[in-house]
Amino acid sequence: MPSTIKIPFGPQHPALKEPESFLFEVDGEYVVDVVPRIGYAHRGIEKALESRTYIQNLYLIERICGICSHAHTTCYTQAVEEALKVDVPSRARYIRTIVAELERIHNHYLWLGLLAHEIGFDTLFMYTWRDREIVMDLLERISGNRVQYAMNIIGGVRRDITPEVSSEITKGIEVLSERMKYYKKVCSDEKTMLARTTNVGVLKAKDAVSLCAVGPTLRASSVKRDVRADDPYAAYDEIPFQVVTNDGCDLASRVATRCDEVVESVGIIQYALDHMPKGSIEVIVSRVIPSDEVVSRVEAPRGENLHYLRSNETDKPARYKIRAPTLANLSALCKMLIGGYIADIPAVIAGIDPCFCCMDRLTFIDVNSDKTWNWKCDELRRHAIKWHKEQ
Amino acid sequence: MAQGAITFLLQIVVFPGFLFLVLAALFYEWLDRKFVARFQNRFGPLHTGPMGLLQPFADLVKLLSKEDIVPLAADKLLFSATPIFLATFPLLALFCVPIVENTALIAFEGDLIFVIFLSTLIIVSMFIGAWSSTSRFSTVGGVRACLQMLSYEIPMTVVMTGPVIVAKSLSLSKIVQWQSSGFWFVTTQPLGFCILSICLLAALQRIPFDIPKAETELVAGWATEFSGKKLALLKLAEDFELVLAGAIMTSLYLGGPSGFWFMPPFAWFMAKLTLCILILSNLRALFARFRIDQLIRGLWQYLIPLALFQIILVQLIPW
Repeated sequence: MPSTIKIPFGPQHPALKEPESFLFEVDGEYVVDVVPRIGYAHRGIEKALESRTYIQNLYLIERICGICSHAHTTCYTQAVEEALKVDVPSRARYIRTIVAELERIHNHYLWLGLLAHEIGFDTLFMYTWRDREIVMDLLERISGNRVQYAMNIIGGVRRDITPEVSSEITKGIEVLSERMKYYKKVCSDEKTMLARTTNVGVLKAKDAVSLCAVGPTLRASSVKRDVRADDPYAAYDEIPFQVVTNDGCDLASRVATRCDEVVESVGIIQYALDHMPKGSIEVIVSRVIPSDEVVSRVEAPRGENLHYLRSNETDKPARYKIRAPTLANLSALCKMLIGGYIADIPAVIAGIDPCFCCMDRLTFIDVNSDKTWNWKCDELRRHAIKWHKEQ
Repeated sequence: MAQGAITFLLQIVVFPGFLFLVLAALFYEWLDRKFVARFQNRFGPLHTGPMGLLQPFADLVKLLSKEDIVPLAADKLLFSATPIFLATFPLLALFCVPIVENTALIAFEGDLIFVIFLSTLIIVSMFIGAWSSTSRFSTVGGVRACLQMLSYEIPMTVVMTGPVIVAKSLSLSKIVQWQSSGFWFVTTQPLGFCILSICLLAALQRIPFDIPKAETELVAGWATEFSGKKLALLKLAEDFELVLAGAIMTSLYLGGPSGFWFMPPFAWFMAKLTLCILILSNLRALFARFRIDQLIRGLWQYLIPLALFQIILVQLIPW
């Protein structure tokens, strides 16, 4: 008889906000192995993108993720603009940057609250979510929406930031920065919080790189890698900022990294508001995209977003591929979980800031034998042709 | 004789017995919720009754009217009996606590041991409920509840002997009578009071010790499978336990209903009980949840030596 037992975690579990399944092999209270099974929230977005025009796709891309909606549309519009070979007006690039950073603040506040909730610190959860209202109000003031901002269009942005809004943002982000500094102090002083985060979910720098972790998860393992700095897009090449890293490699350092990132974001927004160039916010572009192949990268709040576009001189993409940050962090997550306690599973999973719905693309599962596999595009096509011949 | 019997019956059923305790339990649930909510910058119950005062009662009635589901694999008899056990034991223990006057409804030499025994039985019933519901979450929650009990019960019992040694009695009523001169044990044994508060927090399974019910890990822990009427009873039992915890703190360390000035003893008791419950609520809002291994290590490493130290102090300085 094996000394380990298998515990299923999900797809429905109170710690998971979205359906995802992990099969844990545990020895007593320790996790020995974990097998994730993804694909519960597959929505067929990539196929849907291919059957809609580029303009319609803007709306669809926005809905890949609720929280990083702006990051995804930025990534998409960048890809399309590059295929079109158009230059976006610099005012539009600044506005994109401002909204992206506000979105990052929003996401990190939300995440801190969720993590606090996972480890039973409900007071911090309530406080951060109350303060999150400030940034949501600011975003509403800019875009008219609290979550799906719909700011990006191909060739620019939809709305301008007026001086009145600009002064409101300045006031708002000051509060947010102060509050976040306070929360960082709470998280690094409060004994129960430290007990649950220090040396939990350890991911060494070497593993983080070899397992292709992205975003704050990677930077909390002291790897200085950020698309905003490494491959600047929007207006990041003109704005000075620090890439926040932390060498703790555990959950506590992931908290600290995200707290510092919020403070850094506030600096970026303030600089962008002060140095915003004048001019138009959009250029009119053709609806037909010349044939091209483009890879676009954006640093979403959760990590690096990667979009791939193949266009074929029509108004619809021939192929569109999206790699959301959670997928990149998944193998690193498994590494973090192994060797930890069962009671730390929810906190560690929350630690990578997972968004499974953004991530799920396509995987094949034989429910009878529980076998899973992946197919490449042409393999799938071959199977489809064969299947139709047999019918 | 007949009149005495009727009075006793009224005391048991109405005041300070069953009816009063149910109302007190619901009121203190409201107080606890409201207090924690204000701490967390929320409003808490707001709409049912003045300032949401009737919300716990509304919740109770709502749960009573909900569908009662028993898992197919459950041990039906034990599963159904658990909520009744859980609601009865703290109620019974509360009868041993002096509320209106310095003598409780049930007072005999050694009733403190009886109360401790009942508080252990509460955890045992939780385990039985968890075991009989056969759900994975419940089982893990039940095991955790027992582990937790093994950790907090020893310092709690040790520290309770502090007042016992000084008052030279194992009866809650006698301990209260000893303190009625205005000499409360909290003034001479503050360390004991703190340790008792922490242990009671663990006994009540509240943050930072809500490990057996850890919402994000175990749904509702040992209580996961209970619904409808059974859940209503469980919620009521939880409120009774809260009142019991406050009452034990009040009786052992704050002199129970005894007081001075013009306020009647009952008002004194309620004021002290409210204070104790506010202490427990306050602590609940301040922390994150510990892991079970951290809890066991912490309580054995720090609380038991501290409790023993308190007892040694009591032996050395006899008051």
